[in-house]
Amino acid sequence: MSNEHTVKSYEEELQFLKDSLIKMGSLTESQLGDAMDAVIKVDKDSIDKIIKSDEEINKFRSKIDTQIMNLLVKRAPMAIDLRETISSLKISQDLERIGDLSKSNAKKVKPLPLDLPDELLGNLKRLGELVMKQLNDVLDSYVNKNFDKAKEVWIKDEQVDDLTYIAMESVIDFLSKDKKNLDFSTHLIFATKNLERAGDHITNIAETVCYLVKGEYLKGSRPKGKVIQE
Amino acid sequence: MNNIKIKSKNLNVYYGDKQALFDVNLDLNEKEVTALIGPSGCGKSTFIRCINRMNDVIDICKVTGNIEMDGMNINDKDLDVVSLRERVGMVFQKPNPFPKSIYDNISYGPKIHGKGETKSELDQIVENSLKKSALWEEVKDRLDEPGTSLSGGQQQRLCIARAISVNPEVILMDEPCSALDPIATAKIEELIDELKKTYTIVIVTHSMAQAVRVSQKTGFFHLGKLIEVGNTEKIFKNPDNKMTQDYITGRFG
Repeated sequence: MSNEHTVKSYEEELQFLKDSLIKMGSLTESQLGDAMDAVIKVDKDSIDKIIKSDEEINKFRSKIDTQIMNLLVKRAPMAIDLRETISSLKISQDLERIGDLSKSNAKKVKPLPLDLPDELLGNLKRLGELVMKQLNDVLDSYVNKNFDKAKEVWIKDEQVDDLTYIAMESVIDFLSKDKKNLDFSTHLIFATKNLERAGDHITNIAETVCYLVKGEYLKGSRPKGKVIQE
Repeated sequence: MNNIKIKSKNLNVYYGDKQALFDVNLDLNEKEVTALIGPSGCGKSTFIRCINRMNDVIDICKVTGNIEMDGMNINDKDLDVVSLRERVGMVFQKPNPFPKSIYDNISYGPKIHGKGETKSELDQIVENSLKKSALWEEVKDRLDEPGTSLSGGQQQRLCIARAISVNPEVILMDEPCSALDPIATAKIEELIDELKKTYTIVIVTHSMAQAVRVSQKTGFFHLGKLIEVGNTEKIFKNPDNKMTQDYITGRFG
């Protein structure tokens, strides 16, 4: 670990920034989990709560922005401090977008019928669980400045792509069985796509953590799984 | 990559019993700005004073090892120090114009080095030097006024004009902006950017931000040792050495 800054308040400001980001991360994690549960259980009562928690996440984003501006103006951070500051800016943007996607998924619960087939929900659940695990791992890698763990998350996004493909196929299959299913199936398609997008933001965070730790960007392109035609 | 202009190899400097530099190996590229950073007393000024043999004026100072400019041994006992200083100009922390007119401040150097035999040649050197140091427009109508009547920032640019009047190859700057306000500092930094097209520049600075802004290469000194040297961008974003990182991030205990 590095020594402490000669200027105590600088040390505190950086710590405060890291704390804010960790809190924002854990809020985003629970919101993603809640939104996932709401879809799987078709739990319409939790929609409002999830939408509300998105406001909290957005507030964190503004707070972190202000903290970063102050650090840049007051301290002109260098080296690891500069990377820490810029990384926080990027990670908070990705977390905010994940929050938006969870909110969007919560909104999609409203028109869903209560008797969705188990197989369809099962595939969606598996995708949701993997995305949750990815978010948890990437936040862990940030807290522990663990390059290898971040890179693992980055590579594992391939599995998110594959599961998205499978989940999408089961929704399309369900839809094609009966035209009546068309309305809410579109919502399920979007919900699936949102999870895949959340996965992409998680890989962005993984890339940022790798840069934060080593000061170098990951080389080469990320392995890609099956791709859904857009 | 530019050619190496100045090369130091195992350079040691002693002030009496006290060793001020330890085996410094540092190459300075031609027509590039090299910034030297480090806490007070770390040896960065001692290093640049080796380049124009300013340490000669200190009786107890002893220099060992090699320091070369274009392959020429700077430490050679038989070297003509006056002609070395014609090739290596210097600008100090505090502007120090001669107590003479603006014109005389610039023309003095060329005169003693036998440059500019006629009045019109000298006029030309004075004008060119003041133009290169971005001071001409501000002083062209009052060249007879004392150099000391100028503002601090203008005085420093006058000193830079004085340094370049003898057409040197290298300019050493020892904290040239530490006594200047931000606007005067910005003008000097702008000037350094321009001057590096013609000269090899070495700047000692305590301002990290200044080192990042003006230099292409940065060397970090600590307790007389060159700890790390490299591309400026790399040093300030992702240095290899922990001591460098601790210093530039303000973690030095």
